[in-house]
Amino acid sequence: MKPGASPAELAAGAVAAVRAGRPLLVRDFTEWRAVARELLGARVAPASVTWGAPGEDLFSGAPASIAAAHNGGDLLSAATQADEQEPINGTTPRPHIPRSLMEMLQTAACYRDHDRWAFLYRVIWRWQQGEHDVQSPADADGQRLNSMVKAVRREVHDMHAYIRFRERPIEAGAPHFVAWFEPAHDVLPQVAEHFVARMGKVSWMIATPDASVLWDGATLHQTGPLMSSAADLIDAGEALWLTYYRSIFNPARLNTQVMNSHIPSRFWKNLPEGALVPSLVSQAGLGARRIGQVEAVGRRSGRTIPIEAEQAQPERQQPSKLDECRRCDLWEHATQAVGGEGPKSAKIMIVGEQPGDQEDLAGQPFVGPAGKLLDRVFEQAGVDRKGVYITNAVKHFKWEPRGKRRLHKTPAQKEIEACHYWLEKEIATRKPKVIVAMGATALKSVLQTGSVTLKDKLGHPVRHGDSWVVTIYHPSYVLRVPDESAKHEAFSVMVKGLKLAQELLDRLDVPEPPSAS
Amino acid sequence: MELNDKLEILADAAKYDASCASSGAPKRGSEGKDGLGATTGMGICHSYTPDGRCVSLLKILLTNFCIYDCQYCINRRTSNVPRARFAVDEVVKLTQDFYLRNYIDGLFLSSGIIQSADYTMEQLVAVARQLREVHQFRGYIHLKTIPDADPLLIQEAGRWADRLSVNIELPTHDSVTRLAPEKSVHTIKLAMGSIRRKLDEKAEEPKAPNFAPAGQSTQMIVGADASDDHTILNTAETLYGSYKLKRVYYSAFSPIPQSPGSVPLAPPPLLREHRLYQADFLLRGYGFTAGELMPQTGNLALDVDPKLAWALANREHFPMDLNRVDASLIPRIPGIGLRNAKRLVELRRLRRIRWEDLSRLRCSLKKLAPFVVTADYKPAQGATSSDLLRKHMADAPQQMNLWPELQAA
Ligand code: SF4
Repeated sequence: MKPGASPAELAAGAVAAVRAGRPLLVRDFTEWRAVARELLGARVAPASVTWGAPGEDLFSGAPASIAAAHNGGDLLSAATQADEQEPINGTTPRPHIPRSLMEMLQTAACYRDHDRWAFLYRVIWRWQQGEHDVQSPADADGQRLNSMVKAVRREVHDMHAYIRFRERPIEAGAPHFVAWFEPAHDVLPQVAEHFVARMGKVSWMIATPDASVLWDGATLHQTGPLMSSAADLIDAGEALWLTYYRSIFNPARLNTQVMNSHIPSRFWKNLPEGALVPSLVSQAGLGARRIGQVEAVGRRSGRTIPIEAEQAQPERQQPSKLDECRRCDLWEHATQAVGGEGPKSAKIMIVGEQPGDQEDLAGQPFVGPAGKLLDRVFEQAGVDRKGVYITNAVKHFKWEPRGKRRLHKTPAQKEIEACHYWLEKEIATRKPKVIVAMGATALKSVLQTGSVTLKDKLGHPVRHGDSWVVTIYHPSYVLRVPDESAKHEAFSVMVKGLKLAQELLDRLDVPEPPSAS
Repeated sequence: MELNDKLEILADAAKYDASCASSGAPKRGSEGKDGLGATTGMGICHSYTPDGRCVSLLKILLTNFCIYDCQYCINRRTSNVPRARFAVDEVVKLTQDFYLRNYIDGLFLSSGIIQSADYTMEQLVAVARQLREVHQFRGYIHLKTIPDADPLLIQEAGRWADRLSVNIELPTHDSVTRLAPEKSVHTIKLAMGSIRRKLDEKAEEPKAPNFAPAGQSTQMIVGADASDDHTILNTAETLYGSYKLKRVYYSAFSPIPQSPGSVPLAPPPLLREHRLYQADFLLRGYGFTAGELMPQTGNLALDVDPKLAWALANREHFPMDLNRVDASLIPRIPGIGLRNAKRLVELRRLRRIRWEDLSRLRCSLKKLAPFVVTADYKPAQGATSSDLLRKHMADAPQQMNLWPELQAA
């Protein structure tokens, strides 16, 4: 095969080369992919192919790879496009390789291994034969594929994390920042993208033993090796980093095992902070573990802040008596108590069950979905919500966890009883003429009996003390009813009830007719 | 004071806060743009210190002057520590310089309370605003919220920051009242609630201005008071449910210089902290409830991890047949993590799962052996009591003897 052949040319000669017993030389994933597709089409079994790679070096003579990797992402998308345009030839079936497998193959292709191309071909061949578990780590080849992918991803991650740029003086010109790194796999093109996004218009270079990439602020260039280490670059800014590293370490928690498991030893020699580790560890061993403070800080003279306790106390609104209520345990898992709301002069008092998720956060009754429904009931009944007093039988939200959500839980009788203290106060101070109890909890609380049921009282106003008590459904009940017509029915029961409340009030308000004279 | 000295003091003062992650921000980049910074959504740890904790962000206090007197805190007003204060510009410059050298993914800024909650919050917000507006910094920013600050300031903080946190500090009202007399669980919860409401609003109104896209988190100190793990996990569950927190961080209390008598002088309960993290992970990722993991008061077991402890206490659910059991139950099997559970579900669509598959997936075979059935494997039914299994599978008690000299003290 002639050097510098395009992937398509390579592919075209691949089958003939195999038949002639020649090795297939591919330099990167794009070439391998073109060749592999051709071979699959001709049903050439893995055992009959010999793969070779010139120098096992991604960059030598492959200037296209970085540009392709950087241009809108990945080699794969370019390859996929080509796939759709050019039919291989009329007879060969097109291999259907799922994207997820293709991505794995592409990543694994960066793994430095003498037989990577042969291995990848075996995987894709097996898939083509219908052995789809070749992708799973539970398969022997799949296990190797997955661990290659993992190692490459890990290397990309480590390079993102452990590259250290050193600043060069402005006068020296671009690149302004230079880093040295020794990657274990062919991940430089991928990593370069990350730093292009990260550094904006600042110029930088990353040098490795086999290749370098250089960003001039606008374009990425790739070249062969340019440096053999970064040891001769001096960056005064590094001192601050070392100070930070020393100070953020907590000697009381010394745990070098975890540290070592995260940063493999081959990285430490190129990390400026690596040189600090032994002394930090030994200092911690010398008793500094008793406290968390770094020694250099402990040695300085300190000072207390002379301020009186009362003056330090932030100014806060006095918590209300309701906020401080501990009559039952519900306060503990709630955000705040939610009291009633409405004008002093209100003649109608509406009592619900308890605040919900939204009400608990807002500190106001009926602002959530149930509140929205209640608004519609008011509208339909022709009653102004602003003119009535709205409260709940229980003032703290009772709930149980369901994943990261709070699921409403019906208050127990003892909680209703404990909280009645507050409802009673509200009734006593506002003296409503009509109380609308929404749902069973409200009804039990208003009438002070655990035995009463909603059914008994729906549509039958009763006298209780100085007020009429009208019973309707709770808006949450209407929201929960699954079937549409029943929902409609429940809604209209609520509207009717509210209308009734207003009528009762109007009747009470009518002044006695003057006696005939 | 030199910048280097300030950094030394204010990094030292910040190291007791456990949160450090830089994940969860939306993807951003600076290619072809003025300014600096990118976020990948994943978060990157740029280094590890010998305490095994990662360095992902420049984690510092704006100042360690503090008028509060929280007993567990080294910066409390009655503590005799050297004090320092950064100028807003200094933090901005440090963040950029560290970022350019690839030491960090961004900034995590907290502060002692100076003058008032509002004043302190204004300063924190000023740093973030300057980074974003003046320097077009697109890296990660996490601001610690001062709970008593004006909600408008918290709102502005959310505009610039990727994440906001309000620390609950201690798991119960009583402990907060006793050990942090200037703080109040009530206002802490209100602040968390106000952040959640803004997050909800933003979720419903995607065009609304930015608000803390990486959500909110909190920290609880473990071992400074007498609260048990049961209480701690219940508090965590309450916070997750109520405020949709991304994370609750647990920070083992570290003894501090001139420790007040009200907090322990003991070494940090690191293994306990570790178990809490494991349990917390089960709450967040595996659908366990606190009640399942800790049905009774007390602490999590130290000898086995919480999932294994749960399985040992609930033998009636086991062994589970991997080829039949409901997919959602697979991650509940000891030795099988979320990722392998997913792989097993994929695999069993293709063929029957065999014992060898578990070994290739690198599941913990020792742990799972008594709890699974595969096409070719069945544990000896009821042969081994939970007590015996537990002895067999307990972690080596290495952490217990990490500090013999301190244990003796
Ligand atoms: S629910 Fe009622 S009784 Fe229980 S704590 Fe709250 S306000 Fe007090």
